[in-house]
Amino acid sequence: MHHFALTIIGRDRPGIVSQVTEILFRLGCNIADSSCTILGGQFAMILIISHPAYSSRESFGDAFLPLEESGLSVFLRTLKPGGELHPEMRGEICMISVYGSDKPGIVYQVTRELGERRVNITDLNTKLVGSEQRPVYVMMLEAVLPEELSPEDLKAIMAQLQQSLQVDISVRSITPVEL
Amino acid sequence: MAVREIILYPDPILKTVCAPARFQDKGLDELVQDLIDTMVAAGHSVGVAAPQIGEARRVVVIDVSKSKLGRDNNHGLLVMINPEILEQSGQETFREGCMSVPDYTGNVTRAENIVVQFQDRGGNERVIRATGFEAVAIQHELDHLDGFLFLDRVSSLKTDVFRRKR
Repeated sequence: MHHFALTIIGRDRPGIVSQVTEILFRLGCNIADSSCTILGGQFAMILIISHPAYSSRESFGDAFLPLEESGLSVFLRTLKPGGELHPEMRGEICMISVYGSDKPGIVYQVTRELGERRVNITDLNTKLVGSEQRPVYVMMLEAVLPEELSPEDLKAIMAQLQQSLQVDISVRSITPVEL
Repeated sequence: MAVREIILYPDPILKTVCAPARFQDKGLDELVQDLIDTMVAAGHSVGVAAPQIGEARRVVVIDVSKSKLGRDNNHGLLVMINPEILEQSGQETFREGCMSVPDYTGNVTRAENIVVQFQDRGGNERVIRATGFEAVAIQHELDHLDGFLFLDRVSSLKTDVFRRKR
C-alpha cells in the first residue's frame, strides 16, 4: 500500500480536524501516525496516510480543494516504499531543555552540536514567552543518542554550549520503563 | 511452573475488573509461580498482573530490585494478592510502557509514596510503604486488576510544557 505525508496548516478555529478527517474517511484513507498542534495562531496537522488503491498524488483528485477554499494550505507528499516505517532506535533517550533571553541562533547552535554527533532529534518544540521587553526563548527537545555517546558526554557538550551561548541548558536521561 | 504468554491489548481481559483471589481456590499458588516465571522470563520486566497472563484474579507480582531505577529502594520480590492502596502522597512522572501494549510509551504521573495492604503468597496480611519507582510499578500493576492500562493515565503529550493554560 502506498503511503503519503499530508501537511495542513491554517488559521486556528474549531472544526479543522473533523473537516480534514471527514474527507479522508470518505476517500477511504487510513491515518497512521499523526501529530497536530497549535503554533502561534495557526493549527498545523501532519499525517501519514495510506489508501489501498491510490498510488500517486493524482489519485486524490481535487478532494482537498474544500480545505484550500476554507483557507487551509494543503501539501501532499508521496512516500517511497518503507518511508512510513519507524526506524529502530537503540540509543539512550534524552530530554534537553534550553531557555534564556531570546537571541538569534539558539536553535541552530544547539542542534548543530547534536547533528554533528549524529544525535537524532525525535521531537522539538520552541516557544517565545516572557514580555515584549524581555522575551524569553524556550526550546524543549527529545533526542536519541548514538550508541557511542553517553548522556554524560552530551551533558558536558551542552554545559560548554551553555557558556558560549549564555542560555540555560539541562539534559535529562529518559528511561522508558516497561512494566 | 510455567512461563506464560503475555496477553496483548485488545484482548478484553485487560479491560476487565478482576475478581478477588481466594486461597481455597485451586491453582492460586500455581498462578503466583507462573506470574513470577513469566516476569523473570520477560527479562527487563519488573512486574506482571494476573490478567496479563489471562487470569482475571487480583494477583500481581513485582520485583524492581533488578532494575536500574529500583535497585536501591525496594522490597525485593513482592507477591500481592488482593492488594489495596490505603494511602498515597506526592507525585512523580515516568515514561511508562507495558508488555501488553507494545511499541507505545507515555508520560504517566502517579503517587510517589503509597501504603499498600495485601496478602502475601502464604496468606499473611501485610502492609508496606513503597516509594519511588517501586511505588509506580505497584500502581501500574494494580491498575491492571481494575482494567486500567497506562494509556488511561497518560498525563501529557511528550513535551507538555507549552500546553499549560495561562
